[in-house]
Amino acid sequence: MSEYSKPLPAVQPWSRPFWEGTRENRLLIQECKACGAKIFYPRKACPECWSAELGWSEACGRGKVYTFTVTLTGVEEKFAGDLPYVLAMIDLDEGIRMMGNVVECDPGDVEIGMEVEVVFERVTDEITLPKWRPFRG
Amino acid sequence: MSKARSAIIGVGEVPTGRFPERSRWDIIYDTCMEAVCDAGLDKNDIEGVITVAPQAQPRLTAEISFGKIPEELGLKNCKDVCIGNAGGASTTNCLRMAEHWVTSGIAKAVLIPHVTVHTTIPLDEVIGFFATAGMDLQWEYPFGTTYNGMAAMMTQRYMYETGTTAEELASVVVALRAWAALDPNSMFFGKPLTIEKVLSSPMVSTPLHARECNVLADGGGAMVVTSAERAADITDTPVYKLGHGVRYVGAAPVLRHDDSMRESWRGAFKDAFEQAGVTKDDIDVFEFYGAYPMGQCVMLEAAGICELGDSGKFIMEGCTSPGGKVPCATIGDAVGRGHTGSGVSMANYIETARQIMGKAGERQVPDCRLALATASGGSGMNTTATVFGREIR
Ligand SMILES: [Zn+2]
Repeated sequence: MSEYSKPLPAVQPWSRPFWEGTRENRLLIQECKACGAKIFYPRKACPECWSAELGWSEACGRGKVYTFTVTLTGVEEKFAGDLPYVLAMIDLDEGIRMMGNVVECDPGDVEIGMEVEVVFERVTDEITLPKWRPFRG
Repeated sequence: MSKARSAIIGVGEVPTGRFPERSRWDIIYDTCMEAVCDAGLDKNDIEGVITVAPQAQPRLTAEISFGKIPEELGLKNCKDVCIGNAGGASTTNCLRMAEHWVTSGIAKAVLIPHVTVHTTIPLDEVIGFFATAGMDLQWEYPFGTTYNGMAAMMTQRYMYETGTTAEELASVVVALRAWAALDPNSMFFGKPLTIEKVLSSPMVSTPLHARECNVLADGGGAMVVTSAERAADITDTPVYKLGHGVRYVGAAPVLRHDDSMRESWRGAFKDAFEQAGVTKDDIDVFEFYGAYPMGQCVMLEAAGICELGDSGKFIMEGCTSPGGKVPCATIGDAVGRGHTGSGVSMANYIETARQIMGKAGERQVPDCRLALATASGGSGMNTTATVFGREIR
């Protein structure tokens, strides 16, 4: 696992539960107990009301492609082996939007509005990245 | 209704291109000396230096931050020095700070320089810088973001929402390169393009082809700013800053809601026009800095020149090109000029000043009295719009 040379997320203390969640194949969304806001990305205080009373709920793991690009060249050396890869913004059913990769399909098949589901890619002992593949049901 | 407080009175520039043999300090000398001479001032009239932060050049940034420019150039009466960094919007902030310095008694005239030499930075370092410039290190970068990729995703969505075609998007580059072809300081001087040539260039990050992306370049520029009160005594061609508007959008592209860029541009334009006491119809030239072709479209629509989704057609018909009825981006934006980091906005303001001064050569818009200049930082974190004019209004 120490082979992974691509950048790892710069985790903050308050986002640790998110990354503990992905390690257990669960996609967690931060929520504000004071105002009910669903928060992405996770914060130390609610960006709506500044409450520090924050909790977590599990997302269903489904969403739609909001936009995407098939990356073909011009990447850092550490990503070169992945080319071509799909970088995408995913609208989760819960109403938040996340950046990710669409995997397990031909990059040419990806389109805006496409239904996707989360898959978890364990890259180190600490970090598991949430990725997205075409919805299989 | 505006009462101008500051004016650009001198500009200096070296050509944009690949000049690995030129040191950054060599460029700083040439641009600063030209700008001060252009203003008709003596070096010792410069009482403040506010530098546009060079991106991806930490050692130079540190040298400049810690006061080297006035000492190096022998600006004997310089009272203070500062560096401004807001990515592509840095120059805007330097102009605003200069306005404060020249109206508050700190300085009679302020020098605003910028230099970037990309070609001597190791390629992987440059790619690495742009892979994280305006991307979130926790929520975006680990998935392999690139600067082109981020623009590509925004462009993909824009085309989906508006029905803008690949040909229309390519025609934006054609229009920009037509302007750049007339600009001796452009990397693409004398090199116009066709839609076919844009679309046959290799795909970089769908839907963006290589010729729709920016070529990193070296260059530099400088401006001299004084108060509106003093400007006319110093020069016959002052460029008054008449109105200004700005909106913050957000740092991480993934968090921007669907209409945020358009709304932000609308807000910035509204404030700038209102403050200047003008409307879009009064503007003679729109110096849009969009960084990627889509930016020109979004700004044309946000300024109310085109309906949503009609700008591609408008540009393809040549309306924004040399000789067109709405001249836009007369240095050809980053894609035509060559990308010098935060220097594109410096080049854009210098061109705006030249148009008002009547010194824009073959690109000169006839009887140019009012100009709008825009800038944006990071991956689109903000939108800034400034109206400049020949007379105090
Ligand atoms: Zn809250």
